[in-house]
Amino acid sequence: MKLARTCRLLSLAVLSGCLFDRGTAATPHASCALAGGSPSGGDAMAVIGCGIIDSRYTAEVAVRDSFAYTTTWGFRSAPGNMVAVWNVSGDEPVLVDSIIVSGSSTLGDVAISDDGALLVVATERTNGSLVVFDRSNPRHPRQLSRLATPETFNGVHTAEIGRIAGRLYAILAVDPLGGAPTPESKIVIVDLGDPVNPREVYVKSVPGSAPFVHDTFLRDGLLFVALWNNGIEIWDLGGGGQGGTPAAPVVLGGVQTIGGDAHNVWWLHDPVSGSRYAFVGEESGPAQLGVSSVGDIHVLDVSDLAHPREVAFYHVPGAGTHNFSVDETNGILYAAYYNAGVRALDVRGDLETCTPSQQETTGNLVRCDLGAMARETGRGLSGGTPAVYVWGVQYLGRMVYASDMLNGLWKLRAVR
Amino acid sequence: MNRRVVRVVGSALIALVLVSDVAAAQDAPPALAIGAHAIGLFTQATHTPEGRTLTEAYLTQPIVSADARAGWLQAIGMLNLEGLTLRRGELDVGEWGEGYVDRRHPHAYLHELMVGVATSSTPVVASLYAGRGFVPFGSDDPMSRPFVSYPVDHHLAQLLERLVVVGAVRARALLLEAAAFDGDEPLGPSTPELARRFADSWSVRGTLSHALPALGDAELAASYANVKSPEYREGQGMDQRKAHASLRVDGGGRFAHYVLAELARTTEVDRGRDLYTFDAALAEGAVCRAEAGLALRWERADRPEEERLVDLFRAPRPATDLSILGITQWTTLTVAAALPALRLFGAHAAPFLEAARIRVDRTTAALFDPVRFYGSNLMWRTSVGLRLGVGHDHRREGRYGAAVPTASTSLHAHDEPSPAHCFR
Repeated sequence: MKLARTCRLLSLAVLSGCLFDRGTAATPHASCALAGGSPSGGDAMAVIGCGIIDSRYTAEVAVRDSFAYTTTWGFRSAPGNMVAVWNVSGDEPVLVDSIIVSGSSTLGDVAISDDGALLVVATERTNGSLVVFDRSNPRHPRQLSRLATPETFNGVHTAEIGRIAGRLYAILAVDPLGGAPTPESKIVIVDLGDPVNPREVYVKSVPGSAPFVHDTFLRDGLLFVALWNNGIEIWDLGGGGQGGTPAAPVVLGGVQTIGGDAHNVWWLHDPVSGSRYAFVGEESGPAQLGVSSVGDIHVLDVSDLAHPREVAFYHVPGAGTHNFSVDETNGILYAAYYNAGVRALDVRGDLETCTPSQQETTGNLVRCDLGAMARETGRGLSGGTPAVYVWGVQYLGRMVYASDMLNGLWKLRAVR
Repeated sequence: MNRRVVRVVGSALIALVLVSDVAAAQDAPPALAIGAHAIGLFTQATHTPEGRTLTEAYLTQPIVSADARAGWLQAIGMLNLEGLTLRRGELDVGEWGEGYVDRRHPHAYLHELMVGVATSSTPVVASLYAGRGFVPFGSDDPMSRPFVSYPVDHHLAQLLERLVVVGAVRARALLLEAAAFDGDEPLGPSTPELARRFADSWSVRGTLSHALPALGDAELAASYANVKSPEYREGQGMDQRKAHASLRVDGGGRFAHYVLAELARTTEVDRGRDLYTFDAALAEGAVCRAEAGLALRWERADRPEEERLVDLFRAPRPATDLSILGITQWTTLTVAAALPALRLFGAHAAPFLEAARIRVDRTTAALFDPVRFYGSNLMWRTSVGLRLGVGHDHRREGRYGAAVPTASTSLHAHDEPSPAHCFR
């Protein structure tokens, strides 16, 4: 009897396996064949052209003059160890070169120095590094140096580049790594005064309560650090009047943004509102890359650097934000919105005065809803075909360049 | 009062109760049993990452185990040497955990070292064990089951290699276990737990054995675990809420047989918010006649997909944010056959064959596309090998003291008959 019962149970198990195999969804094809048609769906940001990368997932974008550089992420058919160089002078981005960065599985970030001379690339994961390229020939950047130290070993997630007192620095956001000598996430400041010999001048681990740092924003000697669960901090690196330097930053203040998961920052210099606002991107979860994302844009009033406060937000149902680029002349913030494409927001003027119907209260905090205030001025790549997952954007010369993990590089018309 | 304190104080109270009855076990004579086991394995797998067919051979599950008793103290230990023989992991497409993907990770050198006491009175038997070992959650460790390949649900249905205090009380057919432990998974074979994380996690398991005539010799179990940040050693990662239910049958006689059917669910939680849920269902069984046998396993289990490293069989630990690349669903049918062992001077070498049909499906159109990554969503794995062993047989794993079904004072599950003995 026992044996018979066992056999029946086993037979049932096998039968179940045969009956309930589920079909695999079709693999989506990377394509921008419908560029100018349904991808923009009649939105304000028309598609001008696109450059397809199908073998790798595309990550960040940096553009200067006629050339765009996109990095790659993870593993698709090939590893994310390539920087694509695009000529974007025409409507369609044209791939003119590619650079393979050895020993990397992801190149999460790329940035260009303010004088256009240097291109820097962050490499992940283990054996992380900062790679510095000479842009004398922007079509074919030439590697000058690669900084790989115990401090960058865990993986460099992002590398921002900026000038303090006339000297060029890179700000590295370094990953946590279990079992590493210093397993925690950290900020590393690198002196690029001699780009052939980059030099670490400062290292600081982020608090365990954070526990990640993905991105920073450097401007006018102030560093805005996105500290995930802890919101943001503002560091004086020489522009805050508190004696801070790149080698010895001074923390001026910070604020915990609603919901945490603070990922990236843009400190706005607006002809109307001045330097009053900073925008923080929230990268929350659950998020299945390629199809879903969560996270709002949080607006901080930073007119008192020691006591920034959250005053407004922007929410897209069913999607979350990633990196920003701002057309400060026209007061338009462009936000990568992963599966929702690109959103353009009018950020000119007062963002913290709104009607009660445009307000939302969280605890004791009253914030203005930029969506309810009709601050959204345009959408790109949203709701159309092919599906997109936009990682980064850059505004340049009345165009917006959007890096799309699934398809490559899009060139869109800016809203103004 | 701090929850951790409550858990530790609770454990201490159980210890006080035990003290009153432990003396009864002191009459048992000192005992020591030692054994060594390993599996020589030759495996071929189609459609591994990048579509390659790989063939590998190695020594897997090399263990030295010992049980000891001295007076009132009982100890169980197991060294696992996979860190020496399986550094790159065991080829097993679908398997995941501790930074390995499509390979099973090597276990910790100190796989188990538990010390404890148990009462000998009846009808209520109690025990308290502490050390590094198995958490009372889920089903028996796959190492003590008929198949050499681990199921995909290993990290959904077992919790092991933790600093743990386990209290157990058995009253007739009902067994209750509770434990406090550290949530962090080992980073590698030689990495000890962070002592400061002890008791940041807890679990409970209830088991009903041989209670209902309709169920015969079946054992019903249900368990729940609250695990803090298993994948971020410092404690800042996502937490897990784990639930498990199972039916297990052991039967002896001319045709010894064994069946396990289980359901498991793990939900990952960030600061109180549920983010991802992974489900698994598994049914397996074995029939032995003398030393030959046949086993069959069907499984359907979810797996989180994460960014891969330069070595495509590895994923970073910890993750750097809250996103994943998708959830895949793995449906595996595995058949195994055991042949009679060769015996010499107390040692044995038992040949076996094992084959698996593995199918993987996307559950969403997220980035991870198995067809693109593996070249197909249908894989095959075939293995042949020899189970080698000498000395003490380490059998059912994950239950201590009063939780062992057959003997109130036994150290482990060694006294329990092993219906699937032909797979050992």
